[in-house]
Amino acid sequence: MSSLDSQRGGAPSSRLVTIALVGAAVLALLGGGAFYLASQKAARPVEAGVIAVRVGAKACEPMDLTVPAGRSVFEIENASDRPIEWEILDGVMVVEERENIAPGFKSQLAARLKPGSYDITCGLLSNPRGKLTVTASAHSEAEKAKPPLKAFIGPLSEYKVYLALQSGQMARSAGTLTAAVKAGDVAAALAAYADARTAYRHVEAVSGRIADIENAIDPVAAYLSGREQDPAFIGFHRIEFGLWKQNATDGLEPFADRLAADATTLRDRLKALKFEPADLAGNASREARRLAEGPVISGDNLYAGDDLAEFAAAVDGLDKPVSLLLPLVSEASPDTAKAVTEAFAATRADIASHAGAATYADVPADARKTLAASFDALAAAIDRINPALGLE
Amino acid sequence: MRISSFAGASALALVLSSGAFAQEASLDLVEPIAEYKIYVSENVAKLVEDTTAFVAAVKAGEVDKAKALFAPTRVSYEAIEPIAELFSDLDVAIDSRADDYEKAEADPEFPGFHRIEYGLWEKNSTEGLEPVADKLLADVKELESRIASLTFPPEKVVGGAAVLMEEVAATKISGEEDRYSHTDLWDFRGNFDGARKIVELVRPLIADKEADFLKTVDANFDTVDTTLLKYKDGDGYVTYDKLSEDDRKVLAAAVNTLAEDLSTLRGKLGLD
Repeated sequence: MSSLDSQRGGAPSSRLVTIALVGAAVLALLGGGAFYLASQKAARPVEAGVIAVRVGAKACEPMDLTVPAGRSVFEIENASDRPIEWEILDGVMVVEERENIAPGFKSQLAARLKPGSYDITCGLLSNPRGKLTVTASAHSEAEKAKPPLKAFIGPLSEYKVYLALQSGQMARSAGTLTAAVKAGDVAAALAAYADARTAYRHVEAVSGRIADIENAIDPVAAYLSGREQDPAFIGFHRIEFGLWKQNATDGLEPFADRLAADATTLRDRLKALKFEPADLAGNASREARRLAEGPVISGDNLYAGDDLAEFAAAVDGLDKPVSLLLPLVSEASPDTAKAVTEAFAATRADIASHAGAATYADVPADARKTLAASFDALAAAIDRINPALGLE
Repeated sequence: MRISSFAGASALALVLSSGAFAQEASLDLVEPIAEYKIYVSENVAKLVEDTTAFVAAVKAGEVDKAKALFAPTRVSYEAIEPIAELFSDLDVAIDSRADDYEKAEADPEFPGFHRIEYGLWEKNSTEGLEPVADKLLADVKELESRIASLTFPPEKVVGGAAVLMEEVAATKISGEEDRYSHTDLWDFRGNFDGARKIVELVRPLIADKEADFLKTVDANFDTVDTTLLKYKDGDGYVTYDKLSEDDRKVLAAAVNTLAEDLSTLRGKLGLD
């Protein structure tokens, strides 16, 4: 293994760390600032294959660099009289950096770069920045059409954070709802109910696939033989029935208690779920189709009639996992990214066009069919994502 | 199927770049990265809360109160530095040093925590700090909002453990960072906690294969912990000049070894 192979971005070179380690006793004697200086290189010739950058008092030398996509190793020499930080920037975002390079010292930085234009910093913040151009390679082009597995770790993590935050919000709102029901406070119960439903719609693309939880949280009377009198009629819609039909919290306490407990279970179950990259778009398109087939046509909230607001929340819940993939999709297939973005805008516009309807009962059957077609078109657009990313 | 074909395609590249012990990046990283984002989100919320109180004290001209709040406020920033410093504009606005400016401390552009630190300790005054304080609060709020919408790059999270220890080596062991207040041990604590958190989150992924590595890392973490404990003062720490030369050496050796060891963590998790 060469010394270059063992280096990583932002770390001191392995050779010097080794020196520092072997010389721990010596370092201990040096102590303090000298300890730190020893982790940097004194000036010496640049190794082959390493891109040299000299940072002077006013500018970098050179101010313009071009490298191929992939891994590059830079050696930054601080030729100014102050400690410097050297950064590769993509807009305001730091791609890689080396901090605190002392005057007269050199420091190496390894970076894995995607094609594009970057800035490099050159000493004082008031100094002009240099340019780094990264050109496409055969490998970088191939990775666009089939991103490596690790490209999906960030999006999957972010989606899990979203599910955790939303299901946590739902559990808290369900707790507030329970307290309001117990206090007989209808207005507070209505507000908490709406908050809990919004959070629920945000996670429904996933939670709807956990059958036992779904049956406890979200059964609708139309699917139960005894309708509203059926003992299995529990969860959100049972509470909705009480609050809107009876305008009272009477008798709702056991249902609210159960919902709060189930919301906590849902939060824990979502936390334990494992996803694969194809699940992000896959769950979103499946949920868009389910909405088109059922809720949009027949309405879920027969007593509250606030389906349109919930459809808007559901679209936000579909947008989250898809938006996490869009940076990858934009590189792999700009057409697909455009189609998906436009389908979301069209579905949102369709929902907003019914803003005048006081309840969903006022939205006629043909308008519901049109809205269902929007959701179907959205599902079809989302379905293009996985093939575009080499996930099928 | 999908995953194994990924593995095949990238195996050669990983062997070439990381040597014989290369690992595949695994979807098992998803949970630790998600947990880390929640940790960072909680810390930045605390930073906003604490900065609000700190800024209020500065603006009210309460020098002693502002001095007392300076170090504890910074701890949550230092703990999340691997993420916070990804935003170059905010890192400069919040945490840059006088060295980054042409006229150093006298430069009107010199902003953030260290500009206020300079005023409080060197001038023993809050004079002229009001706009700097307002800007600092706006900037930490902006940081909170950007973190909320950031998809965390896994290599920055895992690499963050080493970055934090390098940060300690480069700026705390030397007493460079908090040069006016000498409250470096507080920042040290933040960096240290942030690094240890990352190791704890990825520990289950490497516990079997890397038992020796973890044992060494834990021992050095414990050394740092025990040494810092000697300088505990109330909820915080004594000033940096009270650190004995012997303990400075102990910390330097442990931190240096940690920085080197933790720099291999990315490779062990297939993220180089």
